[in-house]
Amino acid sequence: MNDLFFSFIPGNSILHRLDPRTKIIGLMIVSICILQISSFSGMALVTLIFAAFVFACKLPLMHFVRSVRPMIIFFLLIFLMQLFFTEGTPLFSLSLVTVSYEGLILGTILTLRFVFLLIFAALLTATTSPSGITAGIERLLRHFPLRHAGISSHDIAMMMSLSIYFVPMLYDNFKNLRDAQFSRGLDIRKEPLKAILSLSVPLIGMSVRAVDDVAMAMESRCYQSTGRSSMHVLEFGRYDHLFILLYFFVVVLCLIF
Amino acid sequence: MIKITNLSYRYPDGTLALNSVNLDIKKGEFVVIAGKNGCGKSTLLRSINGLILPSEGSVAVNGMYTSDRSRVMDIRRMAGMIFQNPESQFIGMTVEEDVAFGPENLSLSTEEIHKLVEKSLRAVEMHEFRDHTPRILSGGQKQKIALASVLAMEPGIILLDEVTTMLDPDSRNEILSLVKRLHENGTTIVYVTHLLEELVHADRLVVMEEGRIMHDGDPRTILSQAKVTTFGFNLPPIIELSRKLRDSGIIDRTTFPLSKDELMEALCQLK
Ligand SMILES: Nc1ncnc2c1ncn2[C@@H]1O[C@H](COP(=O)(O)OP(=O)(O)O)[C@@H](O)[C@H]1O
Ligand SMILES: [Mg+2]
Repeated sequence: MNDLFFSFIPGNSILHRLDPRTKIIGLMIVSICILQISSFSGMALVTLIFAAFVFACKLPLMHFVRSVRPMIIFFLLIFLMQLFFTEGTPLFSLSLVTVSYEGLILGTILTLRFVFLLIFAALLTATTSPSGITAGIERLLRHFPLRHAGISSHDIAMMMSLSIYFVPMLYDNFKNLRDAQFSRGLDIRKEPLKAILSLSVPLIGMSVRAVDDVAMAMESRCYQSTGRSSMHVLEFGRYDHLFILLYFFVVVLCLIF
Repeated sequence: MIKITNLSYRYPDGTLALNSVNLDIKKGEFVVIAGKNGCGKSTLLRSINGLILPSEGSVAVNGMYTSDRSRVMDIRRMAGMIFQNPESQFIGMTVEEDVAFGPENLSLSTEEIHKLVEKSLRAVEMHEFRDHTPRILSGGQKQKIALASVLAMEPGIILLDEVTTMLDPDSRNEILSLVKRLHENGTTIVYVTHLLEELVHADRLVVMEEGRIMHDGDPRTILSQAKVTTFGFNLPPIIELSRKLRDSGIIDRTTFPLSKDELMEALCQLK
């Protein structure tokens, strides 16, 4: 379980004790700021803030490295794109392409932005239980006029929590299936099309059946998308007020500069 | 408690899964429904739970008809259902949340929900797992949580659909003894199985075949007297052995042994 990126690390730090809503709003503000920052000093400030949180909450740094790792190729791609395709003062050129100074800067900033977006999101998921996140989102969504569009915030929260359970389950199913097919002599290099079909067709069947079953189990336990109560009470505490105040400052500061 | 009258059910694709079923289950009974795969057992339980509505006839739980949409929540609360596959009846992200799902739908207060969750998890002895993600639990543990989830709605009837089929023998026995304990505390149990040896000691045995009820009554009487061909499935080896021994006059006709223990006792008394 612990090897999953973006997983929850139980604990009792400040961030753990914050109301999920405070953290979700915080993440949104931080993300907007990160997308705006285009200087290295700004990035340094963000790094400092992130380091302060990780340190204050005694979170393992490795966890965040793990959250970023699966995306490394994507980052590399973005970086190289910027590096080669930005016009500006040439630094040096390789036969066809020219690397510019501006490209180097832009590539670095852009990559850093994505890295920070990911690790701040990982900070939220590391310090908030999945149920806390869904409860928080559900409560925040209540303030939006979704009802008029025929969507209930409970349905959305339900969908989220089901997918959090389903995706790993389907992955487990996939692994079992793959092992079973390979042990029967299926060779993905010799017959790629057959391999893909023999893995995906049963997997789709399994998924449809699992979804059917869960829907039935939900219905049998009286699911209704309106008028549900919740076992989690969300309450703003002292720290929440403090953070909200902080957000105001940040927003005001951003607006001024 | 459950009154099924002339119930027929046809799936949208035309399969007639239930064919004029009549069944009357009283409060506190332990009813085992047996029959080979595809004979309509699951369809019957789904009908009782109001998950599907009769094509013909009626199903009433505590006097409430499943066809009355305004009562369907009350019916599902009264008659909780547990399904065969431990993997696909989890709804929460933690054990505790899964158990809370029913009470949350009933709009109970947070305190009540916590109380019910605590009580139900203790009843299945899974209290220490309340913060776990269901993914790491064994099949048997998952079925215990499924049982707790249903208990959290304080049902008077529990419908179990082959809940032990995917479990190892130890977990199977554990679930069985939990169900027996619930029955002793007054819950009405409807237990569907195709492993007849599991529950030969129920109050009542209902044998189904092709959407019909073939036998309904005391398990000992049915298993000892009915023609083998009317079961539609193989009898458990112990029962077959008992029938052979009785037919050849080796054991006494008065007490027909249903379990290994009873058979051994009967054999020991031969001397
Ligand atoms: N969703 C469905 N759609 C169409 N036919 C079904 C469906 N579910 C079950 N059946 C058919 O209905 C009959 C009874 O099925 P079921 O109640 O699941 O039997 P059991 O639980 O005793 O194995 C079977 O012939 C089965 O193929
Ligand atoms: Mg079935």
